[in-house]
Amino acid sequence: MFAFPTEIPAEKPVEKSVPLRSRELPVGLADRVRPTTPAAGRLLPVPAPLVPLFPDGALRRGTTTTVAGEPGHGATTLALALLAAVSQAGSWCAAVGLPDPGVVAAAELGIDLRRVVFVPHPGRGWAEAAGDLLPGVDVVLVRPPGRARGTVARHLAARVRDRQAALVVLVERVSDWPQGGDLALTVGDVEWQGIGQGHGHLQRRRAEVRVSGRRSAGRDTECTLWLPADSGVVSAATATAKGEDGSVGAGPDNGPKAA
Amino acid sequence: MELERLVVIWCPLLQQEGGRGEEARRFVQVVARAGEICPWVHPIRLGVCALPARGPARFFGGEEMVVRHLVEAVEEDASVGVADGLFAAILAARSQLIVPAGEVAQFLAPWSVATLARPELAVTLQRLGVTTLGQFAALPAPHVSDRFGADAAACHRLSRGESGELAGVRDRAIDRRLRVARGEDPDLGSEPPPFQPGFFGGASAAETRAALSFARVQERLGVDAVLVGRLRGGRDPSEQAALVPWGSPEAEGPAAGGAPWPGRLPAPSPTRVLGVPQRAEMVDATGRAVVVSGRGLLEAEVDRLSVEGGPWQPVVAWAGPWPVTERWWSVRRRRARLQVVMADGTARLLYNERTQWWVEALYD
Repeated sequence: MFAFPTEIPAEKPVEKSVPLRSRELPVGLADRVRPTTPAAGRLLPVPAPLVPLFPDGALRRGTTTTVAGEPGHGATTLALALLAAVSQAGSWCAAVGLPDPGVVAAAELGIDLRRVVFVPHPGRGWAEAAGDLLPGVDVVLVRPPGRARGTVARHLAARVRDRQAALVVLVERVSDWPQGGDLALTVGDVEWQGIGQGHGHLQRRRAEVRVSGRRSAGRDTECTLWLPADSGVVSAATATAKGEDGSVGAGPDNGPKAA
Repeated sequence: MELERLVVIWCPLLQQEGGRGEEARRFVQVVARAGEICPWVHPIRLGVCALPARGPARFFGGEEMVVRHLVEAVEEDASVGVADGLFAAILAARSQLIVPAGEVAQFLAPWSVATLARPELAVTLQRLGVTTLGQFAALPAPHVSDRFGADAAACHRLSRGESGELAGVRDRAIDRRLRVARGEDPDLGSEPPPFQPGFFGGASAAETRAALSFARVQERLGVDAVLVGRLRGGRDPSEQAALVPWGSPEAEGPAAGGAPWPGRLPAPSPTRVLGVPQRAEMVDATGRAVVVSGRGLLEAEVDRLSVEGGPWQPVVAWAGPWPVTERWWSVRRRRARLQVVMADGTARLLYNERTQWWVEALYD
């Protein structure tokens, strides 16, 4: 490039890592500092069908949630769904490293597109981009390109605590995030319904989701979700729906609708 | 033709108007302070103003000195850049660069076609493998104008450095908006109030923090690294929605509701819409290629699928084909779309064009 910077070096703000205040404070207090965060409250809402997955019934500020699942099994749907209620409540969200986000699907999941920015191709700078966004948005969804390095994960998790945002990490396996999240959601078996051999259409996907992690209070729970249901939203699937096969025209027996 | 050499002052935090109009008032100050040291400062749109470079450069002893004086004068977070033509000068300002005279085409070459802020053109070009302005500039001009029309031809001239400005870069109501901000009578007009995007209507502290963080990522990764989604009509998942750079004029427009186009697939929509479709082969149980007949029907039962020469994977369910015939920049396209579910539980959206199957989107 035949160009040179116009930035005046003296005016460049010195990039310094923020002191990790929360780590130096005694337990208990660390959880209560940073009341300067303008959006009051420590919890960020999730769509009603996902409330049972969270010990607090919501995303907790300062924590990391991993969403794991084999590619194509709906982990992206679940991760995007976590932005729906937050964006509708007026908080900014960011999705870093989702290569070709389906904007229509995001809207169907209930995401307010006016409140979400996508950084689809951060390359090697995914952690830095996520770190840049943490001071400005309430939820950062990040998809690392592979297994994240331990130091990178620790640093990002510490920044999340310090900034009191919520981090959602989309990975293939829980172990791809070295720290392990405060909460880990794992998509297991999935089954598409509504589509047959040459008839119907992709209507809804039944998925088993397991909840584990430090903040799950030691109890691993499992639940069944439509990921997504007919209208594109995420909803709870009832146990009785289990035996239902993918026959065309069979409506969902619990009339899934997002809150 | 020689392009006018321009200095652009870009204030990332003043691009969007908040509820109280404070951004416009501060931008008025920026224009006024710049005007105190350089003549002919004119606002382009909120947060962006430009001035001719030559005179001040002679006066201050070089373009770097002009930039230095302007940065000090405006008393706001501002990026300043210099280049030939308004379009390049805005990009130069965002990257804080002085682009030497006559080298605008080389400067523009690595930027994405998305910077043209013509989402439909960008999508089509990217499908053709043309991702940068340099590659776009290399296309023969008559072909561009024949296939894509006059506006694309203007974009093409711009990317070649033959013209300096695109329609839509200037906010035609900017003078009026700034008169309002100065508290002057915006003549007798009854123009509708300036559109206020939902982005910046709320709490301004949170908005400012958000804007600052996005600008930081843009600094790190480029202007078109931070995108926002917009819905509009269209049948293909890639046409129903667009990702446009945050802060661009398109991002400020209202998010059009997804118009119910006939032929659009019912929800749920795929969560990953491939920027570049993947070539795929699909065969029946006897190994013959599955084709779509002239009547829009599959001529065989789908048995297995191979994507980009990869291993064959069994298909357990499929639906379609949904034929689509549409005019797209005067090239008649016949397409048929098919949803398939693989034995491993994953689902894909494919389309068929001229007997070739392509994977268009994934339901992850």
